[in-house]
Amino acid sequence: MSNSHPEIGNPIVLVHNVCKEFHRDAITIPVLTGINLRLNRGDYLALMGPSGSGKSTLLNLVAGLDRPTSGTVTVCGESLEKTSESGLARWRARHIGFIFQLYNLIPVLTAYENVELPLTLTDLSRRERREHVEAALEVVGLSDRSHHYPRQLSGGQEQRVAIARAIASDPTLLVADEPTGDLDAKSAGEILFLLERLNRDFQKTIIMVTHDPDAADRAKQVLHLHKGVLVEGQHAAEGAHAGEERS
Amino acid sequence: MHVLTYIWRNLKRNKLRSALTILSVGFSLALLTVLHGYMAMQGLWGKEAEKHGRIVVMNSQGFSGQVPIAYVDRVRSMPGIEAATPYAWYGGNYKEEKMPFAQFATDPAAVFDVWDEFRIDPAELAAWRSTRNGCVVDRRLAEKRKWKIGERIPLQGTFYSFNLDLVLCGMFDSPKNTDSLWFHWQYLDEGLKQNKAQGSGNAGTIFAKLARSQGTSGVAQAIDERFVSSENPTRTQTEAAFAQMFADMLGNIQDYIRNIGLAVAFSLTLVAANAMAMSMRERTTEIAVLKAIGFSRGRVLVTVLGESCWMTMLGGLLGVAIGCLCLQILHQVNSQFFPFAIHEMLGLWLAYLIATAAAIGLASGLVPAVRAAQLSVIDGLRRVV
Repeated sequence: MSNSHPEIGNPIVLVHNVCKEFHRDAITIPVLTGINLRLNRGDYLALMGPSGSGKSTLLNLVAGLDRPTSGTVTVCGESLEKTSESGLARWRARHIGFIFQLYNLIPVLTAYENVELPLTLTDLSRRERREHVEAALEVVGLSDRSHHYPRQLSGGQEQRVAIARAIASDPTLLVADEPTGDLDAKSAGEILFLLERLNRDFQKTIIMVTHDPDAADRAKQVLHLHKGVLVEGQHAAEGAHAGEERS
Repeated sequence: MHVLTYIWRNLKRNKLRSALTILSVGFSLALLTVLHGYMAMQGLWGKEAEKHGRIVVMNSQGFSGQVPIAYVDRVRSMPGIEAATPYAWYGGNYKEEKMPFAQFATDPAAVFDVWDEFRIDPAELAAWRSTRNGCVVDRRLAEKRKWKIGERIPLQGTFYSFNLDLVLCGMFDSPKNTDSLWFHWQYLDEGLKQNKAQGSGNAGTIFAKLARSQGTSGVAQAIDERFVSSENPTRTQTEAAFAQMFADMLGNIQDYIRNIGLAVAFSLTLVAANAMAMSMRERTTEIAVLKAIGFSRGRVLVTVLGESCWMTMLGGLLGVAIGCLCLQILHQVNSQFFPFAIHEMLGLWLAYLIATAAAIGLASGLVPAVRAAQLSVIDGLRRVV
């Protein structure tokens, strides 16, 4: 896994004046308005905000799962709004690691196979894939559970396998949506420690959506979304407080 | 990990549903295998018959018309004919069994000249020729029924009002099991005359062996021209054509089989499509995850299609195996109508059945696969991202 230092002046994520609207029948619902965001390599951002504030929508745009209604999203040098569907799929495989709230491991595959899954999309040989998988499982501390199926693991262990899957292909950016939302406090602490370690030791750029102020506290930077507008420079607790005041 | 591993594990995800789908494809393909095997056997039967240069003379009206016994000598005397014999289907019951094997009234002096590829011990042939109520049988039929020389074989007439009390004089060896018994045409004819029953003087059909140098069509045409102005005009054809005509008496069986095959394939496609649609619906989030981590539309499409094809191919292989087993059992139980063992019938028709299973897999997986490929990642992950 790469642990190169951040490249100054070369942002990993550059979101410029992005708006996103959804249409339901004849009604237009604005979700994000005039969003600007810049993340450099090695940044660790926590996105907070009440439900419906647009956190997940912003995460989807940055991860190349959705396109903005207006504005530009450039991630890892790729202008996502101009890229084709198949191009986005290839780009995600190379640059993005996903961590979901409900882990979303493939139940019929072992931990090893789940971690190997994104590597099957690369040109790596079988031996190289094995090295990557073993390294990723080593990082999350589950080398001894590599042949276990998800049903044989605890929630915290499943999420660690999901993190191993996310980092196996050494992506530039990790996107995590409520990674501790379905875990008990102890397991949540372990996951947050793991994410901190990935950011600190391997210089992984991380965007994490969370409702949990304690989780947000572990990030280097906290941004708060309120009714589709980004509130910058607030500490997690302050951001949450500001959101409540404005609502 | 190979994509086939993922496909195989998915099939095992809901074992009952996969097993039921595979079995429904399997049993339907088994039925198709038996039907197509029967058609393939008819084709082989014809090809086998063509090798031996025999022709069959029958009444132009078909089996309901008579072929007078006097025609046999006239056919024998025609240029290009080496040998000819009457060959009348008796169709009697044996003890409690209804027509359990083929029985023909024929001429012992000529029949082994017409079927010159058959072999019989000369002493047994001589015994048959000199015994008025004697008969000979295919050795495999005798072995199956544990008949010995001297065995009495009573047959009750169904078409003819005369029962036969036959004595087994010999056994002949034939390249294929004919499941046949041959007896004196004269014995039947005398009995019918004694009983003043209908059917006396009728040869039924005439089988004739052509000289090697003779073309079939010229001789057949000459025979038919000779009898064209008689009370009983004839229709002469090759043994192969005769075999096909005999099969066609069952109706246009090939069309029936094709139509049944289409109906079965269509219903199977619906069954398999339903199973695949259910499976995909349950895995919407999983498919969205695959797409999120970089699986392209094409890869998702191929994975889902591969899963449906793999499932129907398993069913197809199982079905073809069961069908082949059924054909082999039919051959062993009733070689009169199923004269070929399965290893003699291997051919493209089996590949066609496997291809049908694959096509069912493709057709049944197409809609779920396209829907999975077009699934929006956002919609699929709605609950989690």
